[in-house]
Amino acid sequence: MNEQQIAYRIKQLLNRGLDLDAGKLARLNAAREQALARQRVESRVPVLAWVDDVIGKSGGPSTLVPRLLLPMAVLILGLIAINQWRDTQVAAEIEEIDAGVLTSDLPLDAFLDKGFDAWLKRSSH
Amino acid sequence: MERRAYKQALFAVRETENALDIVQDSMLKLAEKYGAKPAAELPMLFQRILQNTIRDFYRRQKVRSLWVTLFSALSAGREDDDTDPLETLESADASKSRGGPSDQLEQSQVIEAIEKELQRLPARQRQAFLLRYWEELDVAETAAVMGCSQGSVKTHCSRAAHTLAAALRAKGIEL
Repeated sequence: MNEQQIAYRIKQLLNRGLDLDAGKLARLNAAREQALARQRVESRVPVLAWVDDVIGKSGGPSTLVPRLLLPMAVLILGLIAINQWRDTQVAAEIEEIDAGVLTSDLPLDAFLDKGFDAWLKRSSH
Repeated sequence: MERRAYKQALFAVRETENALDIVQDSMLKLAEKYGAKPAAELPMLFQRILQNTIRDFYRRQKVRSLWVTLFSALSAGREDDDTDPLETLESADASKSRGGPSDQLEQSQVIEAIEKELQRLPARQRQAFLLRYWEELDVAETAAVMGCSQGSVKTHCSRAAHTLAAALRAKGIEL
């Protein structure tokens, strides 16, 4: 008989010896219940407690839409509108600069010439 | 699962109340520390906690027995008491088996004999054997729980199985 066979046979017999008297079973069941109760409390704290808190403060799931989701939707739409307005403002400024450069009598190279820039500053003083 | 855990603790500490306390402590530790872990990981984590709790019990017992040895001369007598029941059981079983074939033994007696022999195994051998074959952890998991190499697990398991088989055979029990 090899190791596996010995182990299998012993395992079978050990499993048959698992019948415990009522006192020990009650004690083990009580321990299991106690552990499960503690596990429920522990797991509830980080995630569910937050959800419970939000729903509880808003007065329950039925009032969740008008009191929490509606202001959030308004806030998001407001942020999108601000972003759009900023984009159009920046585009208008760039258009104005482009138009100024194109309609000017000076050639475009003059604006890139450092000597011309220095002369412009000196003459303005 | 808790029944096997109780038996494992009982094989190790040999006292019902202490074994029940160890299982209870282990369950609470599992729930407190690893309650959020996936269910598949829990059996191995529980075994690790159980083995650590048994080891902690041994340590406390060691300290306690040191004090008892210092203050009482009865401690030597207690050691004798521990071995007596095993010897009487062995001789009773041996006389029975000599009287007839081993299969005449009641199953409960066979189970009792196996449990006694498991208690007599060296702690690491018993631990490896029970984790590997009773709790059905694989070699790597058993090694992780025991904090040793996979090679050690295989050696402990092999020795435990053959020691058990030989001890039972000596009592006239064929598996």
